[in-house]
Amino acid sequence: MTRLPSFAPDMLALFAARGAGLTDVGVIQPADPFLDIAGEDLRRRIFLTESETGEQLCLRPEFTIPVCLDHIAARAATPRRYAYLGEVFRQRRDGAPEFFQAGIEDLGDKLTARADARSIADAHALLTAVLPGETLAVTIGDQTIFEAVLAALGLPRGWRMRLARAFGDDTLLDAALADLTNGKRSSSLPPAIARLVRAGDQPALARFIEAGMAEAGMSPSLGRSAADIARRLAEKAELQSVHLTAKTLAALKSFLAINVSLEDAASTLSKFARSARLDIGLALEGFSTRIDAIAASGLDTHSILYDAAFGRPLDYYTGLVFEIGAPGADRPLAGGGRYDRLLTLLGAKKAIPGVGFSIWLDRVAALRGTA
Amino acid sequence: MSITLALPSKGRLREQALELCAKAGLRVKLPGDDRKYRAHVEGRRDIEIAFLSASEIAGEIGRGAVDLGVTGEDVLREKTADWERKTEILARLGFGHADVIVAVPEIWLDVDTMADLDDVAADFRAAHGRRLRIATKYWRLTQQFFSGRHGIQVYRIVESLGATEGAPAAGSADVIVDITSTGSTLRANHLKVLEDGVILRSQACLVASLKKRSADNEARVAQVAAAIRKAVG
Repeated sequence: MTRLPSFAPDMLALFAARGAGLTDVGVIQPADPFLDIAGEDLRRRIFLTESETGEQLCLRPEFTIPVCLDHIAARAATPRRYAYLGEVFRQRRDGAPEFFQAGIEDLGDKLTARADARSIADAHALLTAVLPGETLAVTIGDQTIFEAVLAALGLPRGWRMRLARAFGDDTLLDAALADLTNGKRSSSLPPAIARLVRAGDQPALARFIEAGMAEAGMSPSLGRSAADIARRLAEKAELQSVHLTAKTLAALKSFLAINVSLEDAASTLSKFARSARLDIGLALEGFSTRIDAIAASGLDTHSILYDAAFGRPLDYYTGLVFEIGAPGADRPLAGGGRYDRLLTLLGAKKAIPGVGFSIWLDRVAALRGTA
Repeated sequence: MSITLALPSKGRLREQALELCAKAGLRVKLPGDDRKYRAHVEGRRDIEIAFLSASEIAGEIGRGAVDLGVTGEDVLREKTADWERKTEILARLGFGHADVIVAVPEIWLDVDTMADLDDVAADFRAAHGRRLRIATKYWRLTQQFFSGRHGIQVYRIVESLGATEGAPAAGSADVIVDITSTGSTLRANHLKVLEDGVILRSQACLVASLKKRSADNEARVAQVAAAIRKAVG
């Protein structure tokens, strides 16, 4: 499909009406940022090519990263909202490898609750415009709340990181929880090192490791340093001494099972925090402010679902994640979220918060065809 | 009508494949000229032999250009997209043993398992401004093992076409995925295999292409497979 969908003009008009300027993004992009951010697994799904000078290039597999790269390169003033509508290229098990996406990336707005709410409202308005009369189900999740619960449970940093990485993927999360509950974590360190670890003597440990690296002919400046390894040895020793208790596991599970309308989400979360005796006050405050902003944007908070275990399979999301779809459909029509670390990862000199969404126009077209 | 059996063109694998064929009653009449890459089985004009490199064999079986071949399971899984749909392993032959493994520097005292490596990879970018790098010639196996099996996303593969074990010391990669048979090269390079870091225990296999053939040729394939299975014992 290379012809613009018939309903594209309606979306372009709505971008203009909602004050998001249309941006122009190159079809051919450097491949590195995508592989770096999304991971090596993406390599199988993108269309790679090479420039004459050997630079790896690809057909844009999505818009968020190129929009951010262009924003950084242009040193554009913030806040600024970029709208786009165009083809993306991805090899998929189901569906054509080139299809249209449309969306808005909102960069640099420091009032994050308002920006989050506007992003959901924009996506909802675009879908409503091209799917009149269609019921739309909105689901939101929030990585910040999950991380706040992990921190309040007093889990060591290594565990929190591992669980946070698995967030949004039930299989990975269950595996991580099982491992933390009853995984065997014995390690066979040479006695001399085990002694240093027990004594907590980091400098001596680092010196020992440095000597080992020199013996192996490894440059101490090229990869993990002796200090890195020493620090993680200590961290790992700490993890080995504790197991996830039944009480902590029960608290985590009851948190992850929360699945309520956004109207009741804040009260459900504070009830959970009270009964589990956890202090997640700050994260909850941000969450409530966002709910108010969503209500103020005109969306019906009764019909929006908050799913505590809901995450999206991209690790650059830092806070809100959301999807909008036809009720009961297994694939969403739109998906988005907040990515406050992404621009720094892509080379921005100062932190620039961002939130955005993308709509799959091929799925919209399919739904319009059957409607 | 005839079928083609592809055998490795070089080295120990070629010798062992020829020995096995002979034991299975398929004596290969070698061409007088070493530079010739075609031969046939003595007394069997209907079984042609093609000498190819192990990776070519995997590719040709995947395309259906040859009917049968002897190649390493590692090569088959790496070179042939959708190998399970296009090919079938008829017998494991008991030679050409090699494990495809994940190895890290021995001095990474804090890393024993893939879960450890997951933690290290996740932190790597913040500390070093780049992703953890894995040197390998096994792109597909590495991706399947890291991303598919262990849910590790944040790493980069650097292609290595030789002396992969030297990459960590040279600084061109942090971790390697490579084959090892005895582990001595790894030890010489101060590398260790992760406890759950064996991706595949590979050996030479008799592999068939799953392409459509005539009933006669199907019978020939079955006959060769049976003879070789019997010879392997």
